[in-house]
Amino acid sequence: MTTATPVRAGSRRRPAAQLTQPPSTHEEQLRLFSTALTVVGILALWFAAQVLFLGSLSQDREQALLHDRFRSDLATAVAPVGPVVPERTPVSLLTVPGLGLEQVVVEGTSSGALLSGPGHRRDTPLPGQVGTSVIYGKGATYGAPFGRIAELTAGDRIEVVAGQGTQVFTVTGIRRAGDPLPARPVEQEARLTLVSAEGTGRLAALSRGEVVYVDASAKEGFPAPAGRLGAVPEEERAMAVDQAILPRLALLLGLLVGATALIVLLRQRWSGVLTWVMATPVVLALSWATTDAAMRLLPNLV
Amino acid sequence: MSALLRGLAVVLVGCLSMVGLLVTGPSSGATSAPRADSGAVTQTKQLQRVFGEGDAAEVIDERDVSVSVSQTRQLRGRERVRVSWSGARPSGARAADPYGENGMTQEYPVVVLQCRGVDDPSAPAARQLSPETCWTSTRQQRSLVVPDRTAVWRHDLYASETERAAKSGREPFPSSECEDPATFSSRVTPFRTADGKEYLACTAATMPPEAAVGAAYPPAEVAGFTDANGDGTVSFELRSEVENESLGCSATTACAIVVIPIMGISCVDEDLECRRAGRWLPGSSNFAKQGIDLAVSPELWWSASNWRNRFTFPVTFGLPADTCDIQDTRPPTGFYGSELLSQAALQWSPAYCLDKSRFKFQHNRMPDEAGFKIMETGQGAAALVSGQRETEGSDPVGYAPTAVTGFAIGYSIDRPDNAGEYADLRLTPRLVAKLLTQSYLGSDLGRGHPGMAGNPLAINNDPEFRELNPGLDEISREAAATVLSLSESSDVIETLTSWIAADPEARAFVAGKPDRWGMVVNPSYKGIALPTREWPMLDSYVPASERECLKLNPAPYFTQLAAPVSTLRKIAEALLDAWPNVQTKCERATVDDPWKLGRIDRQGVGTRFVLGIVSLGDSARFGLRNASLQTAPGRFVAPTQESLAAAVRLGRQPGTMLPFVIKQAAVRKAGRAYPGTMVVYTAARTSGMDRAEAAKVAQFIRVSTREGQRPGRGNGQLPAGYLPIRDTGATAPLFRSAQSVATAVAAQRESSPPKPEPTDTATPTGDPAPETAPTADDAPGAEEPGDEKPVDANVVPTGATTATPDAGSGLGRVALPLVLLLAVLGGMLSGAARLTLRLRRAR
Repeated sequence: MTTATPVRAGSRRRPAAQLTQPPSTHEEQLRLFSTALTVVGILALWFAAQVLFLGSLSQDREQALLHDRFRSDLATAVAPVGPVVPERTPVSLLTVPGLGLEQVVVEGTSSGALLSGPGHRRDTPLPGQVGTSVIYGKGATYGAPFGRIAELTAGDRIEVVAGQGTQVFTVTGIRRAGDPLPARPVEQEARLTLVSAEGTGRLAALSRGEVVYVDASAKEGFPAPAGRLGAVPEEERAMAVDQAILPRLALLLGLLVGATALIVLLRQRWSGVLTWVMATPVVLALSWATTDAAMRLLPNLV
Repeated sequence: MSALLRGLAVVLVGCLSMVGLLVTGPSSGATSAPRADSGAVTQTKQLQRVFGEGDAAEVIDERDVSVSVSQTRQLRGRERVRVSWSGARPSGARAADPYGENGMTQEYPVVVLQCRGVDDPSAPAARQLSPETCWTSTRQQRSLVVPDRTAVWRHDLYASETERAAKSGREPFPSSECEDPATFSSRVTPFRTADGKEYLACTAATMPPEAAVGAAYPPAEVAGFTDANGDGTVSFELRSEVENESLGCSATTACAIVVIPIMGISCVDEDLECRRAGRWLPGSSNFAKQGIDLAVSPELWWSASNWRNRFTFPVTFGLPADTCDIQDTRPPTGFYGSELLSQAALQWSPAYCLDKSRFKFQHNRMPDEAGFKIMETGQGAAALVSGQRETEGSDPVGYAPTAVTGFAIGYSIDRPDNAGEYADLRLTPRLVAKLLTQSYLGSDLGRGHPGMAGNPLAINNDPEFRELNPGLDEISREAAATVLSLSESSDVIETLTSWIAADPEARAFVAGKPDRWGMVVNPSYKGIALPTREWPMLDSYVPASERECLKLNPAPYFTQLAAPVSTLRKIAEALLDAWPNVQTKCERATVDDPWKLGRIDRQGVGTRFVLGIVSLGDSARFGLRNASLQTAPGRFVAPTQESLAAAVRLGRQPGTMLPFVIKQAAVRKAGRAYPGTMVVYTAARTSGMDRAEAAKVAQFIRVSTREGQRPGRGNGQLPAGYLPIRDTGATAPLFRSAQSVATAVAAQRESSPPKPEPTDTATPTGDPAPETAPTADDAPGAEEPGDEKPVDANVVPTGATTATPDAGSGLGRVALPLVLLLAVLGGMLSGAARLTLRLRRAR
């Protein structure tokens, strides 16, 4: 896929001109410049397309799987109740009727975990339990589950189905940086805070740099078992990136380059059609995985 | 083709630069000074042994005996007090172990017992002190069955007719329960428990449960030896109802120490057995437990002749450790950390929980490191540590000096030939380094260890030790090859190892240089980094042995010798019981059971040799002996009030509210400062804390540095083993620092982003992420919780409201627009370039 341009460029070259008139250095540089820019453009376009549109496909798929798993967990009464839950395990089903939002919440808030759905911050009680539970969700990419939470207003309902039962929260307010924190939860109160990124200005749909908090409250929470984590690592906090993916990203990029080189070699032996039939799925899969990995270097709430 | 390859290169460069762009996101990301109220008591009495009755009475021995007890008030369980006497009859047939049953084969000893009740004839019978309320740990000390000929108590001048009967001690005599042979003379002295139950104490099965074979605590009652001058002394261990429920001594149940110098039975008639005067010479030893004359033995302590010679010292016990749990139902506020404070906390906590205007203080011992973590994360109100810690959170931490104490190298060592305990052990850093690095071989099993075959077996075989501490035996014991130490991370180990590291000789030894006598460091520990907070077990040498037990249980031998434990209290008790924690004893329950390795036996009195690292508080409480440690070459300093104060004077504070640093180099230079001195600090956050909790911590700091520094044994007072912090003298800087920390903790002035509070209901914040940038810029007005009176107090009664932190991300703002921009730019520019190319070619 990344190699398509240079190859096509070569094939359109007129053989006669090449024989009679060898390209000057200037022309060669110009051609290189054009090729490089094409590659950068295609890479960027692919990246944008995947995180904004194609990513929602994979997120939908993940949600469907998580939903099935959580359903069976609930049915067999093995849905987690804390205090420590393995990462990426579904912990509750979050429904916001006002936004038409229904998502399975997974454990963990790292950039990677949030690719499959909203994530529960691990050092807070599980949604529905006594105390303040915090859920992060992406605001613009990979299905943008929390893309519209800023539209909620005080009084809206949020439903949470968790291992201990169903809890209905009422939104109490929306906060942004600098707004006063709400009062402490009173005894037995369950608090739910949805966190996502939102944008300002003309490019609001894309430039998601600010953090928005939606606080909701329920009168009587489920008991929360003691022994939770005291804190979460840096990469699980709001707007954090997950740099641990770098080795994997380097490997994937290497594979991509290798695949390209292989295609060039095959092109000299096989026909063009055959080569592309063979290569397209491989290149597509590699690009997809590479973008998934690169995505984790973006802030987790975006 | 070449264009293609160059294109690939560009792709790679492009990808990498993109990665670089993405990566540069927000990566932010004991002393034993005399105490005024100790209640030392001395009593003097004239004691006689009389043969014959009435006019024929003949006083054959008369002594003016005076007995002193060093402490009688506010005692705690397992505390040892010094009982000394003078003017008693010199003893003979000395036993190796004078405790319990083993002390019975001596002549003319001084019996010391703990008894319940008051020794006052006017008191009600149930509260009277009598032989039946005196504790002994075996039936042999209470019941006798002997042929009539040797039943000397039946000829006792002072006994009543019923007591002189063939069967005596209880009416009716329990012949069937005691399986008593009818033809013998028998005597029982039943034991009455605190709740009135009677144990006949004539067979092992009829003894109180605390006297079972292999009971948790070794016998405390002792038959002390009197020297040729009539003087003698013992350390007598007292048991509270926690250790001995049957005896039941407590803050509310009166008890006494009863001292009975054995003078021999006063005889009413001419009975030869009764008139015996002992067959052993004064000062002789009877380690083989050979026969003695019953008439002068401690076995008859209950007989009328002996019992009337008793000295009774009423003692009072302090409140037990669980007082607060029982008396106060409020939830406790936990202070987590240093065990050095535990003896002080034992006396301090009732002063908090019994006073309703104060909070309920609870000291939870744990490694300093863990305590500090708990404090930082907000799970605990405050930590108790002895040095500065790396803070991980953003909240500043203040360190308030709370107690000046330290560690000691405690020991229990006997001089050879039963000459008593060794009293002035001196240790150099190198000797301690040899012990810690497991460089003594322990036994022949250790000889096979590569690289140190020429080392001595134990410290008392080491010429360096013998030069410093002359007059000790050279018996090699496994227990003398090690010093019982802590397995956990602790500031005590750090101070100890920095004392070693400050000494050039010790440092050179650890680095591999042999000492003057050719002893080398254990290669496993060669070059170990000092100081360290946790002493590792590095030696994995498993000796080859033909013994079946060792073949079946291969284990690292030197680790078994060291066998560190988790608390200083356990070390103190090991010294108290002279029971080394060496785990090399092969045992099996029956011949069919598999062999297993276990703790070696308690050491016999007379051949004890145990070393251990103890806290000064425990050491003072249990009456342990502390070694003098070398500071400068040839200068040995013992822990005393003066040497602790000298060390405190050397402390330097690097900044306000930080701990004082006592450098070991300075201690070496000063010469008379005790190197084991440590200050215990109450560490608490000065911002971000719950206000109610902060007020409690401030109260604790203020109370403990004023009222808590009065020396004494009562509630809220400072026990022995601690140097009082006062506002004058050497400790004045500590006192001032504590007061300023108390003020800062109470004020909770400096504000910072809210932290995650894992304790439920205390979670004040929606997003607990404190990771981003200073928030002071955002809303300075809202940030400051105010001066003395928080303005937001009416809104949130329990804590300060803060603003939502700004967790915004620059990368988040630019990432997606930038990617789209790149796509557009790339497409447009490359199109433009191609167009140029085509136009050129067309020309």
